[in-house]
Amino acid sequence: MEVLLLFVMIVGLLLIGVPIAVALGFASIFFQLAFSETSLASVAQSLYLAMAGHYTLLAIPFFVLASSFMSTGGVAKRIIRFAIACVGHLQGGLAIAGVLACMMFAALSGSSPATVVAIGSIVIAAMRKVGYTKDFAAGVICNAGTLGILIPPSIVMVVYASATDVSVGRMFLAGVFPGLLAGVMLMVTIYVIARIKNMPKGEWLGWGEVYASFRDAIWGLLLIVIIMGGIYGHPWIRFDGGSFVYWKGGAFTPTEAAAVAAVYAFFVASFIYRDMGPLAATKEGGRPIPLYRKPLAIITAFFHKDTQATLFEGARLTITLMFIIANALLLKHVLTDEQIPQSIANSMLSAGFGPVMFLVIVNVILLIGGQFMEPSGLIVIVAPLVFPIAIQLGIDPIHLGIIMVVNMEIGMITPPVGLNLFVTSGVAGMPIMRVVKAALPFLAVLFVFLIMITYIPIISTFLPNAIMGPEIMTN
Amino acid sequence: MSGKYTPKGPIGRAVHGFEETAIAVMLGLMTMLTFVNVILRYVFNSSLIWSLEVVLVLFTWLVLFGVSYAFKVTAHLGVDAITNMLPRKPRKVLALISGGVCIVYALLICKGAWDQWAPFADLPPTTGHWFPTGLDTTSRGRSFFETDQIPMPDWLRFLEDWINYGEHYSKMPRVIPYTILPIAAALILFRICQAVLRVWKDQDESLIVSHEAEDAIEDVAAMNRGD
Amino acid sequence: SCEDGEMVIKFSHVTNTDKHPKGIAASLLQQRVNDEMNGKACMEVFPNSTLYTDEQVIEAMLRGDVQLAAPSLSLFESITKAYRLFDLPFMFKNIDAVDAFQASDTGQEMLDMMQRRGLQGLGFWHNGMKQFSANKPLIEPADANGLKFRVQPSDVLVAQMNALGASPQPMAFSEVYGALQTGVVDGQENTWSNIYGQKFFEVQDGITETNHGVLDYLVVASVDWLDSLDADTRDQFLTILDEVTTERNADVGKVDLEARQAIQDAGGEIRELTDAQRQDWVDVMKPVWSQFEEEVGAENIAAAQEFNAQN
Ligand code: NA
Ligand code: NA
Repeated sequence: MEVLLLFVMIVGLLLIGVPIAVALGFASIFFQLAFSETSLASVAQSLYLAMAGHYTLLAIPFFVLASSFMSTGGVAKRIIRFAIACVGHLQGGLAIAGVLACMMFAALSGSSPATVVAIGSIVIAAMRKVGYTKDFAAGVICNAGTLGILIPPSIVMVVYASATDVSVGRMFLAGVFPGLLAGVMLMVTIYVIARIKNMPKGEWLGWGEVYASFRDAIWGLLLIVIIMGGIYGHPWIRFDGGSFVYWKGGAFTPTEAAAVAAVYAFFVASFIYRDMGPLAATKEGGRPIPLYRKPLAIITAFFHKDTQATLFEGARLTITLMFIIANALLLKHVLTDEQIPQSIANSMLSAGFGPVMFLVIVNVILLIGGQFMEPSGLIVIVAPLVFPIAIQLGIDPIHLGIIMVVNMEIGMITPPVGLNLFVTSGVAGMPIMRVVKAALPFLAVLFVFLIMITYIPIISTFLPNAIMGPEIMTN
Repeated sequence: MSGKYTPKGPIGRAVHGFEETAIAVMLGLMTMLTFVNVILRYVFNSSLIWSLEVVLVLFTWLVLFGVSYAFKVTAHLGVDAITNMLPRKPRKVLALISGGVCIVYALLICKGAWDQWAPFADLPPTTGHWFPTGLDTTSRGRSFFETDQIPMPDWLRFLEDWINYGEHYSKMPRVIPYTILPIAAALILFRICQAVLRVWKDQDESLIVSHEAEDAIEDVAAMNRGD
Repeated sequence: SCEDGEMVIKFSHVTNTDKHPKGIAASLLQQRVNDEMNGKACMEVFPNSTLYTDEQVIEAMLRGDVQLAAPSLSLFESITKAYRLFDLPFMFKNIDAVDAFQASDTGQEMLDMMQRRGLQGLGFWHNGMKQFSANKPLIEPADANGLKFRVQPSDVLVAQMNALGASPQPMAFSEVYGALQTGVVDGQENTWSNIYGQKFFEVQDGITETNHGVLDYLVVASVDWLDSLDADTRDQFLTILDEVTTERNADVGKVDLEARQAIQDAGGEIRELTDAQRQDWVDVMKPVWSQFEEEVGAENIAAAQEFNAQN
């Protein structure tokens, strides 16, 4: 009963325009003070430890920063050129290339809105120029951008892993197949629509352009190799006897991979593409300055105003995201303190729900929650509630994680709180409700995809189990 | 929508510059420290044993300090689907009510932050469950508590006499990283009050932004807008 | 759950409730308190770090937000350096020697050492002796040379790894399994039940039975809370706690052996050392003692050594 009051309070506060973080925090503190002995000092400690005590969440600022360097640093536009060279000649080719570019950028970036901004800001304008309607362009990018959290790396997966203590490395592997599948489903849908509506197709620019654009994009795409090879290990050669080629172990943990990605993206943006920093062209359309002409740039790049602005952008996003997560953790603390998860678990189990029914309920909770909440905050709250039940019902924790991520994807493109909607409406200069309508046909594809992911666990679990062995729950 | 924040006056600009620089520098330090530790381990088979803890402290400082800045520039996320449907007057009333909620939240955080921090500085926390009703002078100090691995710099040794009754610190005491708590809480309260005042004076419409990355996409939006 | 008028004892810990030695002991304590003190006291257990982690729980206890906890002994090193005794390598021959030392006057005095900080030790709970594991066979101490070991952030454990010529690496516990699997770090040290529970054996070449250290927990409460209880309630509670401690500690050797066997059954490689080989490890690591002798107290070290001879 009291819990109902708590949730009603949160929704009420949200609807009158209280910031999400404060709505969660205020309701939790109020509830804690009114119904338990817990002190305000404990609230302050929890806020402090939301960061200091959750090592895995450190990946968030680093991945956000890496995305931020890649968007400003010209990685996105080179990826788009490569995608167009590959599939631009198909019917509806530019839209398909937009999806492909979103998939590639998603493999570099941990966030969906970042993917929409990076790819959408270029592709939507380009699609309009060759005769696509603005609605179609916005709908495509809005949906494809959600792949940012499904294709690894992913901030939402990091949050899930942190909330449930599963391995981030496993989650990343689990996202690979579903991410590719969702991307292909979107591309096929576009192709079919394009054939029916006779949408424009681009020119085949030849293998030369494919090669040239690939060579230009390689420094960005190499980051995929660095992240995956750095975490999971890579082939290496040795000259000191034994087998010449051998498998060399990983260099860093998933969290550290995010920091390495950020440093690498800074390096590529400042010294190779030189679209930002001290070596950037001094006038629009000019050529960047070679390093030998300005060797001091090796040092000044770190303090350059572009670097500072990018760092600041990344930090600002981190701050607002972590403030929500920190307050969601306060709510989680209240729920734990009141032993809510146990009582929900008990009533669900005694009602005799099997895994199938349970997953339906999880999907419904997440879809409804996703209408109001930002994904990371929602996962922090819901994961600890459903995780213990899922384990008891024999559902694979990694599979459950992917289901949650796909639900979050859908939540991002449905009103009233849908980050991708906001960003797309900003990028495309369209009212939000028009973006919602434009995104609907593809939303249907994501729904079909959600059902497939929910009831065909092997799509998610195959890769992590093949590479890391089956997950055994010992605790 | 709320426009881009522009600081007023020389002091306003200096403070704004300091906030943005501090935020950028903290994230930069976190990234470099983590990166350096990867290189130390992978290439040199070595490590900075304190790096993990320092990075986590910086992360905490970045977010707690940054929250007040985000209130200042109206960057916190919220739901405006309902309020946007209302006429101007009731919308302002709701914005002021939600401002009131934010102020109460900040006041509670202020008490909590002081109560959590004070014992580590050998100062008395406040009494009272909801409101500070006095100082609890019987409370035990916790100034002896040290961090796990962060080295104690010599120039902070004066703290041993100030708060630790002359006893030696072998690691940095916890009071140092915790100091962000009362500072951040006070700043958050201050920035929220300013924001509510802006709404009151019709200089701003609400305390929330619903467009994430608004600044970053402004230019592109202008490009796309011409139908 | 608790009825009105019952004193609520919140016990926060970080393991499961039915497989880990600490979790089993906590569950038994909860059951006995709730049965025998029904109407007077009621214990709520929060396992799996759902309420606080070990790093946070001591602060929460001093604030009065939680009444009982059992963090590992190394977490008290930042409060009382004497607790470093338990982390020193090869200080105790086996868990019986640990048990005997803790039951001795010196050991019991250690329970009271943090009173002036507001904490009262109520008893030691065993997990067991620590073993080394790595992604290559460890037979000689030189085998560990140049390897990267994940250690808890404790000065003693860092010094111990440096003595071996290994590189101590700081790493959040949640990342250790992945890091061992992908080779980001080469090895780690832990007890049989943790190596089994965390599945570290799956991703290591093997485990070497060194028994080089001890992993124990201190059941702790705040002085202020204990003082606030009426004498009868406190005595009854402490008596139950003592009985649970004795019962579970006596059984810990069995839990350890079961975990060791389970690792073997699951295909994990376990390497035993001959006395001469073990002595080599002792010779390399024991010099660490002198670095910490002043903080730990030479008399405490001497007392601990007495019990090695008897067990
Ligand atoms: Na991604
Ligand atoms: Na939504």
